[in-house]
Amino acid sequence: MTSYAIECNNLTHYYGKKMVYENLNFRVEDGSILGLLGKNGAGKTTTINILNGFLQPRSGECLIYGENTQHLTPQNKARIGFLIEGHVQYTFMNIHQIEKFYARVYRQWNPEPYWELMSKLKVTSRQKISTMSCGQRSQVALGLILAQDPDLLILDDFSMGLDPGYRRLFIDYLREYAKAKKKTIFTTSHIIQDMERLIDDVLIMDYNCVLAQQNVNDFMRSFKQFYLEVEDPSIDLKKEDFVVNVEKVHNKVEIYTYESEEFVKKFLEKNGIEHRAFQQVEMGLEDAFIGLTGKY
Amino acid sequence: MWKAMIYKEWLKIRWFTILYALLGMLAVGYLFLKVQHDTTFNQPNNYWNLILFKGLKFFSPLKFIPLAGGLLVAVAQYFPETVNKRIKLTFHLPFNENKVLLCMMGFGSCCLLAVYLILITLFSGIAAFYFPSNIILPALVSLIPWFLAGFSTYYLVALIVLEPVWKFRFLYLLVAATFIPLFFINGSTAAYQPVNITLAVLTVLLSISLLFSGYRFRKGEM
Amino acid sequence: MVKLSRYILILIAITGLAIALPKLYWIAFAQPIKSPFVQYSAVDHDFMILRNEGETVFTNTKGETFTREEYEARLPFVYTRQLLMNQTLPDSLNGEEMDPHQISKYRSIFRLKPEDIRAPQPSLFPLFESQSGRVNLEMPEDFFRITWRMEFINAQTNQINEEKSRMFSAVLYKRGFQFPATSINGIPTTLKSCDEGYLVVDSANQLFHIKMVEGKPFVRQVDLPEGLKFKTVQCTDNSDKLYYAYLFSEDKHLYMLTQYDYLLERFPVDNIDPEKHEIRIYGDLLNFNVSVLGEGFVRSHIFDRNLNPVDEYSENWPVQSQRKEGKIAAALFPVQLSMTDPNSEFINFYFQPSTTYYCFAASLLLAFVQFILIRKRKQKLLNQLPDILIICLTGIVGFLAVNFFPNKFFS
Repeated sequence: MTSYAIECNNLTHYYGKKMVYENLNFRVEDGSILGLLGKNGAGKTTTINILNGFLQPRSGECLIYGENTQHLTPQNKARIGFLIEGHVQYTFMNIHQIEKFYARVYRQWNPEPYWELMSKLKVTSRQKISTMSCGQRSQVALGLILAQDPDLLILDDFSMGLDPGYRRLFIDYLREYAKAKKKTIFTTSHIIQDMERLIDDVLIMDYNCVLAQQNVNDFMRSFKQFYLEVEDPSIDLKKEDFVVNVEKVHNKVEIYTYESEEFVKKFLEKNGIEHRAFQQVEMGLEDAFIGLTGKY
Repeated sequence: MWKAMIYKEWLKIRWFTILYALLGMLAVGYLFLKVQHDTTFNQPNNYWNLILFKGLKFFSPLKFIPLAGGLLVAVAQYFPETVNKRIKLTFHLPFNENKVLLCMMGFGSCCLLAVYLILITLFSGIAAFYFPSNIILPALVSLIPWFLAGFSTYYLVALIVLEPVWKFRFLYLLVAATFIPLFFINGSTAAYQPVNITLAVLTVLLSISLLFSGYRFRKGEM
Repeated sequence: MVKLSRYILILIAITGLAIALPKLYWIAFAQPIKSPFVQYSAVDHDFMILRNEGETVFTNTKGETFTREEYEARLPFVYTRQLLMNQTLPDSLNGEEMDPHQISKYRSIFRLKPEDIRAPQPSLFPLFESQSGRVNLEMPEDFFRITWRMEFINAQTNQINEEKSRMFSAVLYKRGFQFPATSINGIPTTLKSCDEGYLVVDSANQLFHIKMVEGKPFVRQVDLPEGLKFKTVQCTDNSDKLYYAYLFSEDKHLYMLTQYDYLLERFPVDNIDPEKHEIRIYGDLLNFNVSVLGEGFVRSHIFDRNLNPVDEYSENWPVQSQRKEGKIAAALFPVQLSMTDPNSEFINFYFQPSTTYYCFAASLLLAFVQFILIRKRKQKLLNQLPDILIICLTGIVGFLAVNFFPNKFFS
């Protein structure tokens, strides 16, 4: 039997009268790394807030290790590492003070990975975190989470404000750590390229619904983009069942679908749609995400 | 939990608390410098007479000192928690959320109490050089509501700062604006005698008020 | 705990608002209440009343009106100098010669307000030298208190003057004084004609006269009727030198203490309560006028100099709570709260419950509005019942309070 770190059942939330989502369901398997993708306003932060107990959903529930996230016990909270959007930490402390603080908080505190990361930073030991750069702060936040040694890591937009080097450093460190120690990660990020290097599973949200939840490799294999140039630009493929999304500029058409090349070709033939330059386009996760959710 | 939380709170408020304690002591010093000056120019017996029968409140320079302390410590302690909603970190610590808040409040109150006790001891100690107990005790009765106002301000500012919704912050401020003046009504020396206990009880009750805005934050009010 | 914190905040808000809202109301709508000024005319044997209703009206109990000159002529002991200037002061009145010196000698004014008694009292007093041989009194170097003994504390050094303390304490002890003192009454100012020391009540309710004569203690016990206790003893400095003090007893009687022979003379009038009403005592060549002023009434009792009743007069007028603005306030606020009271110097929570049932109507209306709000927000009524109850009890104040701190809890 698979055990789940996170289970969200029939999650429904509104801000006032504006619906965020209704009956959202998803699960995160123990030991997997899941990336939550969605456009701004799709409800990523709402989900993270519910997961951390900072928001009471209108209905439904989220369970972390079987406990409702609205009433997490201290023992359970100790199993969760939480990276707040923007790598927020107690910036009035310096790196020694903050380590000393958390060491008193967590019983299973292991400072080694923290000091390993800190040794790479060019900061003085008395320098307050508030005076550090974004990248340095991200390393502090990461180091603290690693030292906490939680079973589940919830990372809210970890790439925000980081330059490419730090992003790479962050991701590589994190993935190696998670895989070595069989940790579960639930993460969101603006920069989808980063996710590609990190995640096992992907959960793509759009306004009000989940568009996809599956293994990222399976997803990339099954979700395809076909390029073709049609003779008659007025043809509308959007309403076809197999089409997930269509982007069309004049007579150049991009079709996004889960169906195979043969199926698409057969469909075009059957409906007598004149076309040329038909080809399947290789996609990265970002392309797939845009293909799935649309540009707007 | 206590050790870690106290460490964190102390890092936030230590300089403010120490600075405030020094300023408070300076204020007490100034007060008695003025008493010294006035008794030199206006014979001590006349000065006593003014205090006893003419309503002179020699301690009045201290009026807003405790309030300033409550305000300062509360802002130093709770404002950093609200920047970037950093209080999320605090709530995420593996402790009961209400206990965490009570721990923060308890530590802030203790620091404030410590400074207040230093100031009151200093005040009484120096006053004992100049005045008999018949003058010092009524003065202390008059000082009590001002110090209670310091605590009440601390608790109400904590409530206001932690409240996530601006509209309600404003309403809480309104409540504070009607409640805090109750400690500063002009009256003769020791006029607060019958009500000091009631005000103390209200202040103690008020100490847990930050749980309310803390709860609202946790439930995602915005 | 969180719910408790909300109710505490509501209590705080109700406290603050129940003080602030009525205060604002009265700042906005209070109207001055002009009370008549009643004096006794020994000329007419009637009360002269000065009313201030837009313009000043001089009248008497029969409703006759007078010009200012006529009014003043009827009050020769009040307007003596004016009548002298007008050369209209009578030579004699009721068989007494009207000598300006005598008139001024016997004229006395005494006022005592409840807030003078219901106030923090000092416990340290200056004991003047009664026979210094100087015209002016001098503030002594030391102040005394009477605790387990009588102690003099030097203001310069803040030290107890042992010798003087022992000397005075010994005499007090010998005279049967029961330490400590429960009230010490005197006129602790150098701005008086002469010093007569203090009238001190000891812990056995005995009355003593204590003063300092040429540096030595003078202590005299006053014989009191069995069981007589005083609410307050008020020393006087009247130029006739006939009495040391007005004394107000617990059973609401008024006495005077005569000088030299220490006799207690009682005014034949009941219900003199300086803790509730303002007391004014005017003395003149012929009469004493004891006036009791309360909210909405004045009562004047006239006695001759031998304290025989001569005449009395009383008048009532509507108080603030009976007027329109008071009735509206009573309907708006089930309770008006204040930290101050006109009859007390002490700060406390003074409750003034509403005198009208309309306030319940207003509260119920607000409770209904709250009910509608609850329905609109689709909240469970059961969880909101305490709020509705609070509104029913405290009206507008509670309505604001429960909505300032929204009742939003999750299961």
